[in-house]
Amino acid sequence: MNPLTSPVGVSHYLLVGAVLFVTGVVCMATKRNTLGILMGIELVLNGANVNFVAFGSSYLRESSLGLDGQFFALFVIVLAAAEAAVALAIALNFYNNHATIDVDQADELKG
Amino acid sequence: MIVLAAINWHSFFFLFFALVACAAAMGVLFSSNVVRMAAYLILSLASTAGLFFLAGAEFVGAMQIMIYVGGTLVLLIFGVMLTAQATFVSMKTRAGEWVVAGVVGGTLFFLLAQAALSVDQWRTPRTDQAELAAIESKTSAPLGLGLIGVRVDKLHQADERLKQGMSGYVLPFEIISVHLLVVLVGAAYLARTKKRMTDVKAEGGRKV
Amino acid sequence: MELLPEILGWAVLLPLISFVVIFLAGPRMGKAGSLAGWVATLAIVSSCFLSLCVAFPIWLVHHWPHDASHGAVAQHDTDGEHDTDEDHDAPAHHDDGNTDGGHAENDHQRQQQAAGGDHDKRASQQRHDEVAERDSSNGETDHAENAVPLITGDWYELGRFGPLRLTIGFYIDSLTVCMFCMVTLIASCIHFYAMGYMRDELHDFEDPEVTMSDGSQLIRPGRYHRFFQAMSLFSFSMLGLVISGNVAMTFVFWELVGICSYFLIGFYVERTSASTAANKAFIVNRVGDFGMIIGMMAIWASLGTFAFGDIDGQSGIFSLVRPESSQHALVVPDGMVVSGAKSEVGELVDSLPAGTSPEEMDAAIAANIPQWRDPEATGLKGGYGYWLLVIAGIGIFCGCVGKSAQFPLHVWLPDAMEGPTPVSALVHSATMVAAGVYLVARFYPVFAPEVLLVIAVTGCITLFLAATIAITATDIKRVLAYSTVSQLGYMMMALGVGGWLAGTLHLFTHAFFKSLLFMCSGSVIHGVHTNELPLMGGLRHKMPYTAYTMLIGCLAIAGAGLPFVIGFSGYYSKDAILEQALLFGNVNPGFGKFFFFAAAGGAAITAFYMFRLWYLTFAGEPRDPHRYDHAHESPPVMIRPLLVLSVFAVAVAWPIPGPSLSNLLEQSRPAGTLADTPAVLVNMVWPNERDSHASAIKIPATLIAFSTALAGFLLATVMYCWKKLDAEDVRRQFAPIHRFLINKWWFDELYESVFIKPTLWKAKLFAAFDRNCIDWLVDNLALSVRRFAVVWEYVGDRTIVDGFVDKLAAVTYSTAVSMRRIQTGSLRTYVVSIVVGMVIVFVLVSWGYTWAS
Repeated sequence: MNPLTSPVGVSHYLLVGAVLFVTGVVCMATKRNTLGILMGIELVLNGANVNFVAFGSSYLRESSLGLDGQFFALFVIVLAAAEAAVALAIALNFYNNHATIDVDQADELKG
Repeated sequence: MIVLAAINWHSFFFLFFALVACAAAMGVLFSSNVVRMAAYLILSLASTAGLFFLAGAEFVGAMQIMIYVGGTLVLLIFGVMLTAQATFVSMKTRAGEWVVAGVVGGTLFFLLAQAALSVDQWRTPRTDQAELAAIESKTSAPLGLGLIGVRVDKLHQADERLKQGMSGYVLPFEIISVHLLVVLVGAAYLARTKKRMTDVKAEGGRKV
Repeated sequence: MELLPEILGWAVLLPLISFVVIFLAGPRMGKAGSLAGWVATLAIVSSCFLSLCVAFPIWLVHHWPHDASHGAVAQHDTDGEHDTDEDHDAPAHHDDGNTDGGHAENDHQRQQQAAGGDHDKRASQQRHDEVAERDSSNGETDHAENAVPLITGDWYELGRFGPLRLTIGFYIDSLTVCMFCMVTLIASCIHFYAMGYMRDELHDFEDPEVTMSDGSQLIRPGRYHRFFQAMSLFSFSMLGLVISGNVAMTFVFWELVGICSYFLIGFYVERTSASTAANKAFIVNRVGDFGMIIGMMAIWASLGTFAFGDIDGQSGIFSLVRPESSQHALVVPDGMVVSGAKSEVGELVDSLPAGTSPEEMDAAIAANIPQWRDPEATGLKGGYGYWLLVIAGIGIFCGCVGKSAQFPLHVWLPDAMEGPTPVSALVHSATMVAAGVYLVARFYPVFAPEVLLVIAVTGCITLFLAATIAITATDIKRVLAYSTVSQLGYMMMALGVGGWLAGTLHLFTHAFFKSLLFMCSGSVIHGVHTNELPLMGGLRHKMPYTAYTMLIGCLAIAGAGLPFVIGFSGYYSKDAILEQALLFGNVNPGFGKFFFFAAAGGAAITAFYMFRLWYLTFAGEPRDPHRYDHAHESPPVMIRPLLVLSVFAVAVAWPIPGPSLSNLLEQSRPAGTLADTPAVLVNMVWPNERDSHASAIKIPATLIAFSTALAGFLLATVMYCWKKLDAEDVRRQFAPIHRFLINKWWFDELYESVFIKPTLWKAKLFAAFDRNCIDWLVDNLALSVRRFAVVWEYVGDRTIVDGFVDKLAAVTYSTAVSMRRIQTGSLRTYVVSIVVGMVIVFVLVSWGYTWAS
């Protein structure tokens, strides 16, 4: 099926969302910079949002979630902002105490 | 030229935005400079907003740009600025960890893709493309009203069981509002100016 | 009359109260406890007063004794006539100068004539007053001799076991009243005496006979109050024994006097001799009590009652054994017949048809009893049950053998002289040892003639045995002790040959003069501080009161007097004994004569050793000048009782018309004993005591008594006063006999080798077994347990328990250590873990979902 000509379905959106999600996860797993990890988190949340919106879009299927999907996406965005703020505060705190933002240096809880 | 006429512009733009978003995400992943990572992230998020618009969630798309890109990312960039060091470059991930992350991520992607493609209803687009134009995509007012308790998008709910949800999202709205307040107060407290460690080792930055 | 038991009960309880008071507050009473003596004395004097109150205003008024020893029992008709049979008495019966009269217990006499004629309304009192007529002497009584004037009853019932009632009861007849007066009077005198004698105990006492391990004499605090505590308890026990109304109560008080004697003999407890003497006394008494318990069991098992007299309609022992139906002759009671005829009863019950009720069976048995009792019908001597009666009697007598120091249990009394002299005077001469004789007198109706024979033989042996030992004794108290044993033998023998009145009369007179003698000897000992006769001599110059009161006592015990005219108290009682013995010998020629000869010979020996004692102590030259110089007369508190008692020793048995001692005692002669009683198992007849007053008996007996006493007196005088015959020479001449006598017939050595040595040997055997076998076992058991514990500690505790615990801890530790590696502290690892977990869950859920659907 030619993607350029045929209309898209939900699964296309879901694929995009999956890519974003996985990329974010890998980013979280690999970045040593705290802020890099935060960015990974943003990507993850973003991927989830894409899913939500896709399921809530009435363009893509008849029996969609409707506005519920968009509601959830809004909430996620707000929470992501809040969480980003806190995470940043933690990162700054960490930087102030350790003069570095390398998460590998934050292993004082090592057993 | 037949191709041009037969192009579903919706799909074309979808593809465009999707590719940009994915590419930018890859860029975030593979870039080692945190500032560049931030830039790629902005790009990715903006493309995602475009995707939202295409999906008919214009308010959410707008919010994505305003809040996510304009707020959160700016915050991130501030953070980057505040924690700027010369040791950026040296924070490299070891190859083993790349492999592990790659394997795990790949597995996860495989699963998610398989899940996405498994349901036939999701793969096929909406059959009645003609009525697409009639669908209202101005969603900000309904969203707002829904947040304060009036679900105007579902005025006549046929299913008796779903009538419960007609009260809208008042409670989550309130909770999130308070949550935001608390978070911001907390974050402000956490990130207040404290005595900074001045003599700092260059490599690794260990506390002395 | 109703008050009589209560008054006597109080007389019994007053010494007990004094005991309790002194027990609780003894050392604090007065200076060093001197008030204790006054408390005890006051108590016993009050008892004496109460006893005399009973005797004179009450008893004599109600039961005035007429000249009863030859005539009727005191007769109390409503119109108060005199006894009617004085006319038909044989001529020799009414000799006033003879044993007819008696001296009342006190100096003032009530000459009232039969003022009592009142019939007492008390249901529990039995007075059967009838004329007892007499005939000639051979075994016939014309009229029924009835129960004596007495009061029986119970104060308190302790328990009821089937038909047996255990009670605290009383049995009061004139014998009881006289005993009360005698015991309390003597006890009062001795308490006063003891207050002076025991003055040494008021301060720390140095005991000359006890040497400590470092060679010094023992000095110990005085025990004045302890002495009077024991004396009070003894008084209580003795009075309780006298008044007791049943066998069980008698036994209880029997044992109580035994234990008081133990305390008193062992008063100087630090002296080994004293404490062993106390042990000996108690143990020998217990040997006798063993027989007594057997007798008690026989009576209880066959008669079902312990009471002496009839109480509330239930027959007592005396009525069962001598019922009215047989004119109070001795009859085997129904219970004993049935017990004896057990095989016959069994056959009878088997022969009855099945289904007969118990009442019918009892009736069938009862119907056969007369047949079983009949000797001819059964072919057994005495019928069934006679042997049981004999056994019961002998059993009870065994107790008396122990208590009254008869052969073979006489060995304790001489050793009992280790106690202080007041103890010897009260306990071991007048009262406790007399308790045995009293019990024989009390139990007299129950004794079958065979038992009386045993009693007589025992008494005879004893009197002779003790008299011979007394000849050679050198300790003043030992002489008196053996004399006591001998006189007790006299009493037993008298009772055994049928002389009830003779025996009891001698009991009373002996009590007075023997306690007098002991107190005099105590006075001597107090004066010269020694007991040994060879260290005395010529003391009558230094201690005249003591000497002459002792002389009165010696005369009394020897039975001195003018024949047929008047005599000391011992004269009358000894005469009565000899009369009865002679009568018995006449009636039973052969063995019977032996008793008379023994009694007469004993009288001679008695006179001899008593005057030997007197001469060696008070006459002649002092053999120890040092002691003679320091000798002094005793203080007045000790002399006055001597004077009082000497009055009694002289006059207590004088035949005063009316309330003389013998008349009073005759009142309580058990019914049915004034009959000639043939024995069943031996061919002997026990004669009637009245016949002993026939002149054919009386005159020879009196003359022989007088001559034997005179002979003994003369021999003693020749040897010890005029020193014509050298005592030392005599001793050498009869050296083997002397050795035999002075070693007390080797009795102690015999008992030691027969009883004591085997017991000790057995004890050693068991001790060796205990040590070697049992201890070995126990020790080795303990040792093996210890060894096991050591091994187990290693194997079980260390290896197993500790090993397990340690292993567990090690495993936990290693697990924890290995799990530490998960916590890397690295954020990125955690993220990867989250994702991996999510993947797994996702897979599981989706695949599981797939499978399920």
